[in-house]
Amino acid sequence: MIHEHSIRAAALAPELGWVGLALLLPLLSACACALCAALRVKSKAPAIITSLALAGSFVIILTAYFAYTGPVEVPIFQWMSFQWGTQSFQSFTADFALYIDSLTLFWMLFVTGLGTLISIYASEYMESDRGGGYCRFFFGISVFLFSMSALVLGDNLVMLYLGWEGVGLASYLLIGYNYERPSAVAAAKKAFIMNRIGDLGLALGIFMLWANYGTLQYSELFAAMNNGGQSSVDWDLSVIPFLLMLGAFGKSAQIPLFTWLPDAMEGPTPVSALIHAATMVTAGVYLIARLYPFFELHPEALATVAWIGGSTALVAATIGMAQYDIKRVFAYSTISQLGYMFLGLGVGTSFGACYHTLTHAFFKALLFLTAGAIMHGFAGQLDLRKLSGLRQLPGWRIVSWTMFVGCLWLAAFPYTAAFFSKDAILLQALTSERGDFRFLGWLGLFTAALTAYYTFRVWFRVCAGPLHYEGGSEGHHETPAGHETPVASHGTVASSVQPAPASHSAREGHSVFHPHAPRLAINGVLVILAIGALLVGVPAYDHVFAHRENWAQSMIAGSSAYQGAGIEDAHAGHDAHQATILGMDAHTGLTVVGSTASIGGIVIAWFFHLRNRKAADQLRAALMRRYWIGWLPICMENKWYVDEVFHVFFRLPMWVGGQILSFGDRHFLDGVLVDGLAKIPLGLGRLFRPLYGGALQGYAVTMAGGIALVIAWVTWIWVRGFN
Amino acid sequence: MLMIWISILFPVLAACVVALGSAKSARLTALVGTSVSLAALAIFAWNFPAWNTAEHFPSVSGPAWIPAAGITLSVGFDTVSLLLALLTAFLMPLCILGSFTAITQRSKEYYGWFLLLGSSIILAFAARDAILFYIGYEFTLVPMTLIIAIYGGTERRVAALKMFLYTFLGSMFMLASLLYVAWELRITSGAWNFDIDSLIDASVRLPAANQYWLFAALMVGFAVKVPLFPLHTWLPLAHDQAPTAGSVILASAMLKLGTYGNYRFALPMAPAGGAELMTVVAVLAIIAILYGSLICWVQTDAKKLVAYSSVAHLGLCMLGLFALNPMGAEGAVFYMVNHGLSTGALFFCIGMFYERYHTKDTDVLGGLAKRMPIWACFMVLFTLASIGLPGLNGFIGEFLCLGGAFTAEHDGQSGYPGVLGPWYAIVAGLGLIFSAMYLLILLGKLVWGPLREPHDGATHHPHVSGVPSLSPDLCFREIAILTPIAIACIWLGIQPKPMLDAIAPCAARMLTHYPQEVRRHLEHTSAPELTTTTSVNDHERATNE
Repeated sequence: MIHEHSIRAAALAPELGWVGLALLLPLLSACACALCAALRVKSKAPAIITSLALAGSFVIILTAYFAYTGPVEVPIFQWMSFQWGTQSFQSFTADFALYIDSLTLFWMLFVTGLGTLISIYASEYMESDRGGGYCRFFFGISVFLFSMSALVLGDNLVMLYLGWEGVGLASYLLIGYNYERPSAVAAAKKAFIMNRIGDLGLALGIFMLWANYGTLQYSELFAAMNNGGQSSVDWDLSVIPFLLMLGAFGKSAQIPLFTWLPDAMEGPTPVSALIHAATMVTAGVYLIARLYPFFELHPEALATVAWIGGSTALVAATIGMAQYDIKRVFAYSTISQLGYMFLGLGVGTSFGACYHTLTHAFFKALLFLTAGAIMHGFAGQLDLRKLSGLRQLPGWRIVSWTMFVGCLWLAAFPYTAAFFSKDAILLQALTSERGDFRFLGWLGLFTAALTAYYTFRVWFRVCAGPLHYEGGSEGHHETPAGHETPVASHGTVASSVQPAPASHSAREGHSVFHPHAPRLAINGVLVILAIGALLVGVPAYDHVFAHRENWAQSMIAGSSAYQGAGIEDAHAGHDAHQATILGMDAHTGLTVVGSTASIGGIVIAWFFHLRNRKAADQLRAALMRRYWIGWLPICMENKWYVDEVFHVFFRLPMWVGGQILSFGDRHFLDGVLVDGLAKIPLGLGRLFRPLYGGALQGYAVTMAGGIALVIAWVTWIWVRGFN
Repeated sequence: MLMIWISILFPVLAACVVALGSAKSARLTALVGTSVSLAALAIFAWNFPAWNTAEHFPSVSGPAWIPAAGITLSVGFDTVSLLLALLTAFLMPLCILGSFTAITQRSKEYYGWFLLLGSSIILAFAARDAILFYIGYEFTLVPMTLIIAIYGGTERRVAALKMFLYTFLGSMFMLASLLYVAWELRITSGAWNFDIDSLIDASVRLPAANQYWLFAALMVGFAVKVPLFPLHTWLPLAHDQAPTAGSVILASAMLKLGTYGNYRFALPMAPAGGAELMTVVAVLAIIAILYGSLICWVQTDAKKLVAYSSVAHLGLCMLGLFALNPMGAEGAVFYMVNHGLSTGALFFCIGMFYERYHTKDTDVLGGLAKRMPIWACFMVLFTLASIGLPGLNGFIGEFLCLGGAFTAEHDGQSGYPGVLGPWYAIVAGLGLIFSAMYLLILLGKLVWGPLREPHDGATHHPHVSGVPSLSPDLCFREIAILTPIAIACIWLGIQPKPMLDAIAPCAARMLTHYPQEVRRHLEHTSAPELTTTTSVNDHERATNE
């Protein structure tokens, strides 16, 4: 196991400038999509261009991976740099340059790979929108890939910030893709603003780093760390990781900034898969992994990360258990799995966190894409109570079984890739010397059981059991114009009972709903992703069975993310050999306990959602009847009222403040002070006129009336806000 | 030199032609006049020798104008004033283009006044003589007042009068201060002289108490123009009532006279006063950011929203300027140009749908992406630029302003000690969140969502009644207005380096006296911990430079 005590210095390698093409290609394809929109292209050209460009970046990153020898810096062009002196702290350098080390390549490989696959998938998924919407969609995807690449490849924190906000923009544009739907617009806005809260933390963290180290380039920051991490001033360095983690929590949807992610499911499903499951939301993990040395300096910062991660995992899982919308279940599972990654970072195994990011990227993209295929085929139907037994339906077998693979992985079924990656995290937590980390480890195990339950709740409901289904009420938001199966357009649910294809009895003049099965692009991508999900387990099998080093571990170990100088000796395997779990050797113990949790969850899901589906409703009713536990399902179903808390404690006071200030600005500052001053000469002349007092009274009445109106208005907004 | 005078005087000439010519040819004459002005300035800028060297003014001493009073006609640029003059000259032809359909009555006068307005703003930026500056600065008020009072909305007279009186009162303070410095200079040198550099040299030698009052008086004058809280109330009204092109020039160029005045006069002239009062200004700037943002949040009038956002944005600009370190000053100057581009473009966008619907109320109007997709693209782009999205121009200035405030700490390892620091930046940084909030709310209502159009004849303005019917989406002329601004926004976002390099020496020059003054201020006020060795070392370092 490679274990270095200092980060390898990066060499300057201008000759590797071609890696910059990985950034340039998505940018060019974004321009091409914009051009297509301007030229009113109605073909699939935007999809083809984007897929080719992304495939090109993937190939470039792959080439760079094979050519990789050590960390390098590749200057591209000077961006935001200037100087006012010759000494340190007298220049500000933020150039367009690449920092390539194994962590970068690790991340870029799955980002560009999944980006390519999902854009191919989307070429079929979005085909009913060909024209302006199609161009806009692929423009967004291209902008996203450009920004994500800038975020990961950038050699300084300002470039990271560029990518950070850029992915936020892409997310905004794509969540709001169906811009005529108010809920989509609201979700897009919410995502951007909640991310901005985190971004402020990140920006302040960046300033703090500059103020302490006088540089924002990774190579120089790491060099400063290697020299003992001391800076020339006594500013409180421990604030840095806390500010940075605020940014990470915003982007990666952790407590308390997680509520935007479920709402982000308003976007088209390929977007949910790519941005809101596989890649963008892992940017927070990347940020902490990239600057891991700064976190390791402050054990309390890492402990905070662990606690936030662990509790987010649990809370999101409890909400996920109570949702009926398939995409929302998966969205909460994403938040929950991201929580595991932060838990891993916090307890000191950046390898576990990064490996889990990789496995998660594959199986979660797969799950979302299967959900998308269902949504696409069933006219927007995503309610898991209204779909059943799809695996018996012709044309849906690939979807059902690839979804099964995804669910097994998400449930961390023994000896799947996710099982190993999750184990790496839990093992580190459970064998920690800190009691609270061990507690978080057990919490993580409990959450794993919940995860297995809610995951298979979906699969047993949707893909297993007797065949029956209902089409969605809306013609699948990207309404197919020339669709072969027109759906009743004005909100009537066209329903169909088993056996579906046979019953053609038109009810009330509406045609019977026919699901239309996915074709090659969707099925092909699903199969490739399922294979990919299998393959990402290979490094772990290699490690467990062949006792070779885990590929992911070697990638992380060679980068800044894995220094081992942290809270305790961060050798995942090292401590584990002495520690025990339930009296067994830690590895064996965790395998047993983890498998039990996973299989137990699946069995419970099987009982309630396949064997005896009524029992689930009975259980819920039984819980609700008991006052001491009745709040639990209510809270879970209502997302623990986090949105409402935000509303009452932040939005509402600010809105009221805005109204008061707006009124005050117009009537007091301008009306009384400014106009009043201007009226002094006038007023002197009229001083003795009795009417003057009357005017004042009139003014007071106006003001009182205004205040009353504001109060009424506020009350109205308050009431409206809860609906 | 010749080119500067051409860029100033050619529009005046064009204004004369407009006055004599027919109403039909007025707009073309105006377009030619402003274009020539832009071209002349561009030629000057192309040949400008001192883009990123420490050589600033081509030492011009123009011909004497009123020799007895020492007033000369000297003009010249440093890179900061050149950038701002270029911004003005760049926007003028676009404003003329933008008025083609909006102004249909009394158009001769309109274009004539507009040409004079452009000239006077450029004159103010170019002036190297304090009186010449004052003339340009004050004269802008005349055409602007008339443009608002004749071509504005329903409350146009009140708005115009308020703007005129308010800013005129402010500039009286400024004029008095400038005359006072000239008086002091006359006492030492024996002759009247209004050359700006001479005035600065004279005033920095004044006693600290005098500088304090000098700074305060200059600050009052420029703060009205910026506008800085609580002297901003004329602005929303003026913007609300002004015709589109008037709003654009008001926001993009005229407000910059306030920040430019700080940069050119208030800060360099009275460093002792600036060091004393920097916290006051910074606090006011932060209040402006939060106050403006919160008010924006509840506006339903799109134009007022953008007007109040100017208050917030320029608050950030002032914060950067008063961080009194190179990062902040650099950011502030960059921000002046950015704000001119993105806010000007937003006013254009608002004017474009206003011409079609005659309402700016976002409760009545919305979802325009459906009806006006091209317009929506521009609107989204400029909003993002205004929010400060990296990769567009707004980000550079915003980030550097905040960074400047954040790092303006006592220790001054950058060579520039300050008294702001993280807390100022944290509170001001809330503006980052707020600006995203109110501008995205604006976008959410106006651009996205289901299409909402007002019923016919909702608001009827006399001067737009004869408008030829416009196409639903933008026409070629309107695209031609917005495209150059969009290109500028993107270009500055990707390639800010040349401009940053150009600003750097000017920023350093403005801050010449500040390290010492701030250090003195810090030692006077409190902080025994500052008299440690680091402080001494810093002092040595500063003196070595």
